[in-house]
This record gives sequence, C-alpha cells and structure tokens, in this order.
Amino acid sequence: MRRRKQSGPVDVTPDGMFVLNLADDERQSFNHFLDELESLLNEETDDGRLRRLFPTAYHNDALHDAEYQRLMRSELLQSRRTAIDISRRVLDSHDALSEGDLMQFMQTINSLRLVLGTMLDVSENDEAQEIINDDDPNAPQIHLYAYLGWLLECVVDALQNSLD
Amino acid sequence: MRPAEQPVIADEPNTSDVVDLDTPWIVLVWNDPINLMSYVTFVLQKLFGYSNEKATELMLDVHEKGRAVVANGSRERAELDVYRLHDHGLWATMQQDS
Repeated sequence: MRRRKQSGPVDVTPDGMFVLNLADDERQSFNHFLDELESLLNEETDDGRLRRLFPTAYHNDALHDAEYQRLMRSELLQSRRTAIDISRRVLDSHDALSEGDLMQFMQTINSLRLVLGTMLDVSENDEAQEIINDDDPNAPQIHLYAYLGWLLECVVDALQNSLD
Repeated sequence: MRPAEQPVIADEPNTSDVVDLDTPWIVLVWNDPINLMSYVTFVLQKLFGYSNEKATELMLDVHEKGRAVVANGSRERAELDVYRLHDHGLWATMQQDS
C-alpha cells in the first residue's frame, strides 16, 4: 500500500493552485526516474527508446522532415530538460504549485510513460496490463508504467477541473 | 562603351519547387497506444483553446479513426503547432491539404 496524506495525489486549492500529495519515498523514486530520463536524453536523441519523444513531422517527405529535425530537435531537447528541472523543483517542494509548474510535471510524467511504453512495446491490445503477472521479467517496469498512468490521470483531472 | 545589350535568357522556373501558397497545411494527430485519452483531450484544449466537447470529439476521432486534423493554416503556423504537439508528447505530422 502506498502511504498518502490525502485521498488523491493532487489537490486544487481555492485560489487555483495545486498541492502534490506524494509520500517522501515516492518523491525520491520519482527523482531517480528523472535522473534516468535525463541521462537518456544526454545520449543520442536517435536512441530507439526516445523515438516517441522526437517524432517525425512530415509524413513521406524526408527532405522537409530532415529540415524540421535540424531546426526543432534541439529546441525539443531543451524543452524536455527544462521540464525535468522544474519537475525536480516540484518534487523537492511541499508548497502549492502554479498551473505552469504542474503542466511541466505532467509533461515529464508523459515523457517517462512514452519511453517506458516504447521499451515495453505497448500496443493497443495491452489494456489487460492492469492485471500484472509478477513472474513476468518486465513486471517492475509494467508496475511503474501503470503507476505513471494513474498519476498522470490524476494530474490531468486536477488541471482539467481548474479549466472548467 | 557599353557592349550591346544581349537578350537575357532566363532559366525555366522549376515548377516542382514552387510551393502553392494558397493551399493550407493541415496538422494531424495520430493514434498511439501509449498516450491517455484524457491527456490528449486536455492537451488539445490547452494548445488550441478548444472546448472540452470539441477536444473530446477530436480525441475520439484519433482513437477510432486513427488520426484527426486538429489545426490548419500556413506552413509556419502548422510547423509551430506540430512542434507544440511534439513537445507535449503527441504524435503529430503536417502535410499540405489536398
């Protein structure tokens, strides 16, 4: 069982800020995942595990796509690094968060899911992954993938409520 | 003295290089098995200012039909939109509307 101070991992405050209710061990684990993502990004961005973080922009148009990648890939990389830095601050602080900071944290959770989902070769028919076989050699990664999905859903819910 | 003017022979324009400025570009989001439906809906609302209903409709098109046109405009505008969608982890491409 995960320890929580509140019923959900994200609360919206009356003045439109957000509070992250994650236990200290969850925050520590998350920081570790951020380190791993950052070190992957520090390697080659054409690593297959990062495929979903740097998609093609032009379908069937290699010339224009190469131009897009030349101009935008470094921007995209920098943006992901900034989101990781802000996510570290989010995890280190117990103060209320702005919408902008929570959005950056949301994008980082999604980046982690995209990398993990690519590594696990998740397909449309994998919804049954909610039932995780602990004998599966990938069980720890599948548990993490499910956890990130749950956390992302909660963050999106909180942000969506503040939009309505 | 100036030499006599010679007629200038211009190169034939290479029509394959001419971009049709009148034809708008469309931005497509493609279905993928990883992104959450709620996440895609929220990102479309946030980036394009769509209502929840409109964003949900587009998300369901992506999910059920495999792709949906989420924006259109000039090439520069489309490229910026594709970048913003990529930045949010969505699988987006652009092409000239046919």
